[in-house]
Amino acid sequence: MKHPLLKLEPLIWLLFGQGILLGTVLLTPWVLVVGLAIPLGIVPADALSYERATLLASHIVGRLVLLGLIVLPLWKGAHHMRHTFIDFGGAERDAWVAPLLYLLATVGSVLAVVAVIRI
Amino acid sequence: MSDGQQKKTFVITRFDPDRDDAPRKQAYEIPVHPDWKVLDALNFIKDEIDATLSHRWSCRMAVCGSCGMMVDGEPRLTCKEALSQYGDTVDVAPLANFPVVRDLVIEADGFMEKLTHVKPWIIRAKELAVEEGPMRQSPAELEEFKQFSMCINCMLCYSACPVVANEPEFIGPAAIALGHRYSLDSRDEGAADRNEIFRGEGTVFSCSFANECSEVCPKHVDPAAAVNQAKLNAVIDWATSLVLPRGGDK
Amino acid sequence: MARNAHPHAMAPSKPGRTRTAPPQLPDRFPFGGRYLAYTLFDLTGILYLLLGFLVLCTVWSLGSGEAVWNGALERHRNILYIGFHAIALVGLIFVGIRFFGFFPKAQPPRVGPVKPPPKGVILVGLYALWIGVTVCLSIVLAGGVF
Repeated sequence: MKHPLLKLEPLIWLLFGQGILLGTVLLTPWVLVVGLAIPLGIVPADALSYERATLLASHIVGRLVLLGLIVLPLWKGAHHMRHTFIDFGGAERDAWVAPLLYLLATVGSVLAVVAVIRI
Repeated sequence: MSDGQQKKTFVITRFDPDRDDAPRKQAYEIPVHPDWKVLDALNFIKDEIDATLSHRWSCRMAVCGSCGMMVDGEPRLTCKEALSQYGDTVDVAPLANFPVVRDLVIEADGFMEKLTHVKPWIIRAKELAVEEGPMRQSPAELEEFKQFSMCINCMLCYSACPVVANEPEFIGPAAIALGHRYSLDSRDEGAADRNEIFRGEGTVFSCSFANECSEVCPKHVDPAAAVNQAKLNAVIDWATSLVLPRGGDK
Repeated sequence: MARNAHPHAMAPSKPGRTRTAPPQLPDRFPFGGRYLAYTLFDLTGILYLLLGFLVLCTVWSLGSGEAVWNGALERHRNILYIGFHAIALVGLIFVGIRFFGFFPKAQPPRVGPVKPPPKGVILVGLYALWIGVTVCLSIVLAGGVF
């Protein structure tokens, strides 16, 4: 398992790096508005009524932003969790922990593509 | 030494492979001079109190890189550390993350092996003939890598790095910084070779950017910058190789 | 005494002539001194993974019709969701500040013939991007425009 993973390492690192950079940039307004302001009633809920949310999300830019909002954090998360496992003495288990975490991110990424297409 | 002089207690990690199952601590209370470095205190202990204490040192001017130890838990060059900045009790231990040969002496052979992995020398496709003259380099070209060439191989960065601690294959900050230093050198033509190496197991992508190497580097090399610059170069090289595969070497 | 590092950390390929004591971890690792920020930075991986899947579920529900979407919005009002998002916001700001601080020095002095802008410009650019996108996307999501 180590060899194919090694070949993909540059791609994984690229997704991870963008997960930190663009992922953080995109998630901040999402968490602010969707996670906090609307649920707390600071922003009226009809800002994201079904009609308006669909209108925003079905635009090509909207779909790309949503894709970035899902895929990039997943890879940032998977890669950093791998590092955490290694830092806490899990280097010997990396041969199965790393593929498992990246598989999770891959499945999430594929589902993200489906999710933004079916809006 | 007269009475009334300031005293400090040094708690030193001792290990004698012939006698000790595991390292132990031994305390020495000694009179200290206000201008002493930590190394001066160790030398005083060895010369005046306990000749069995083993520690490495040579130049006393932060150039040879041999007197690195953990001082109060931080990797430090003991010749560079003013004793006055420490409290009444100073803990001195061998560099973390290294096997210990004896007392404060660590096994450095693993580091020497890692250094050679990155081909830390100028690689040329074809050597210039003597009559062609020297390879000239502008100050701006020198500036691109000069910082990374200041490494003195003191291994403090290895002692601070959490990846070195947990991933034995990792070739580590100083070695990668040195390889990157040569790849940035305008006279060098080996960047592609090193990018291949950097895409291998236990190299740049194992780094988790703890930045600890740069925090403890006594020569301000900033190995973390080098390692992460090398990551980007390795990614660009990888992406390029997908589009334009280099013949024969894959 | 410190805890042991990996037993083979920095070991040479051939053992030396005498027995060695095993390598020790730095005393302060993983939660003391500067290591705390590093360990927390890595641990935000859990937050990002959860956020990624949470956004996935939310977007998925948008494609599943109005009732499911309204259910998803309703779920976000749950105190556990609000608490998680509050922690996530702190995590995002922490990750942004730490990573953006490191980012400029991670750029090579040149990529081929291209030289990146000075480090200060990169840093200002990153914060401008972060704040700009946050303001613009927040306004869009909150119904300010479109």
